[in-house]
Amino acid sequence: MNNLWLALEGAWHVLLAGIILGAGLPAIFALGLRSLSYGTGKDADDPLHQPHLIGKIGAVVCFSLVIGAIGLGIAVIVAHGFGVKLSFERFIPGF
Amino acid sequence: MPPELVVLSLVVVTALAFDFTNGFHDTGNAMATSIATGALKPKVAVTLSAILNLIGAFLSVEVALTVTNAVVRIQDADGAPRPELIADGGMGLLLIILAGLVGAILWNLLTWLFGLPSSSSHALFGGLIGATMLGLGADGVKWVGDGTKLDGVVGKVILPALLAPAIAIVVASIGTWLVFRITRSVAEGFRDRGFRLGQIGSSSLISLAHGTNDAQKTMGVITLALIATGSWTNLHAVPFWVKLACAIAIALGTYIGGWRIIRTMGKGLVEVCPPQGLAAEASSASVILASSHLGFALSTTHVATGSILGSGLGRRAAVNWSVAGRMVIAWVITLPSAGIAGAVTWFIGHSVGGLLGALLVFAILLALSGVMYVYSRRSHVDHKNVNDDWVEDVTDRQLPVRTH
Repeated sequence: MNNLWLALEGAWHVLLAGIILGAGLPAIFALGLRSLSYGTGKDADDPLHQPHLIGKIGAVVCFSLVIGAIGLGIAVIVAHGFGVKLSFERFIPGF
Repeated sequence: MPPELVVLSLVVVTALAFDFTNGFHDTGNAMATSIATGALKPKVAVTLSAILNLIGAFLSVEVALTVTNAVVRIQDADGAPRPELIADGGMGLLLIILAGLVGAILWNLLTWLFGLPSSSSHALFGGLIGATMLGLGADGVKWVGDGTKLDGVVGKVILPALLAPAIAIVVASIGTWLVFRITRSVAEGFRDRGFRLGQIGSSSLISLAHGTNDAQKTMGVITLALIATGSWTNLHAVPFWVKLACAIAIALGTYIGGWRIIRTMGKGLVEVCPPQGLAAEASSASVILASSHLGFALSTTHVATGSILGSGLGRRAAVNWSVAGRMVIAWVITLPSAGIAGAVTWFIGHSVGGLLGALLVFAILLALSGVMYVYSRRSHVDHKNVNDDWVEDVTDRQLPVRTH
């Protein structure tokens, strides 16, 4: 039964990290898109649509967060391959 | 040329063939949703995925020599083959590995023929377990490990397979719900263009992670065979040519693209739109990366399929449960089926014995693969018709006839 307990413990950690990154990042990406269409709403489909300045700033912040997180993800893959473990204690609580 | 070396060559070729099927079986995990939403053109998608798999395979320099230790006892803890298995020049061990690989390839091809995504790692483990059970007896299989860590067939294969889709469904449905909620007021065309761009990034990340995770399994198996025959002695490294060959094999397989499986995943389960596709892919990428980082390895296939299902549930889209049900059945029977195939193959090879037995096993692999390939031509799925509307029972090869 020890296997079951260990598996549930592992699954719980993966679920937590998955929700924070796998659901959180798309949400931030979505916020960026919404920000880009700020002030225009349904008119954003207009090819001449120019995003509002505040919307642009918000979008840059959101997309930078997402790109940064993906960069971190690639760093994890690479570091893992070279036998280095990155520590995420300060980013993701509970590990 | 001594017979061991001939058999060794057969094992290496068969292992690379398995790696190739691993590639095309799993293209859909990364690219199915991007192809379905039109984020990437089919050919562009498989090319991108292949390149990233190639790069990923090289990034994984971690030694994967002990890959079989998860489920069978043919190696020591440090990766050396058990001495009694290589007393005869390695033939005994080589036949177990060869039969296991043949079982895995045959199962991968059969599930591909039916357009079902099933885990290639499960197929590999199943084949090895089957061949080991006959070769060494049931004691040769590590069922539960010693309890100090997740180990054995139960801990490394069965429990992760049960939990992976559940985790992915939860993550993807939350993500999908959130992105639709947040972009509710955004014009649809603008929204979809944005999410399609995002999808390129998320599916690329899955491809990269796949290359790092899966190619090294084959590298481990080939290196084990080399050690068994004394052709390689370093337990802490994989020969460079093995790494290169495995990377190329998995990339080629990915490029060929398992179009049947891509089609099932992208069109068969739920109708996928760009925001949902991004949520599904982000869920897959994060769950796969988090699980391998935390040492709780999950099958890419189970995670990707779970994510697609979850993304459908998250926006309350209609899920095609009959296709989902067939997939679940395929998952459940993958391990035992590949096991039976591996066991039968080992039995045939062992009964004939020696070099001739190994050659016969290889001939069986070629013949059955050929039959399945010919059968697949009856209803061709490729990059041109991969996105056609889903017709139920397409897996029974009733594809609509294309008139142009």
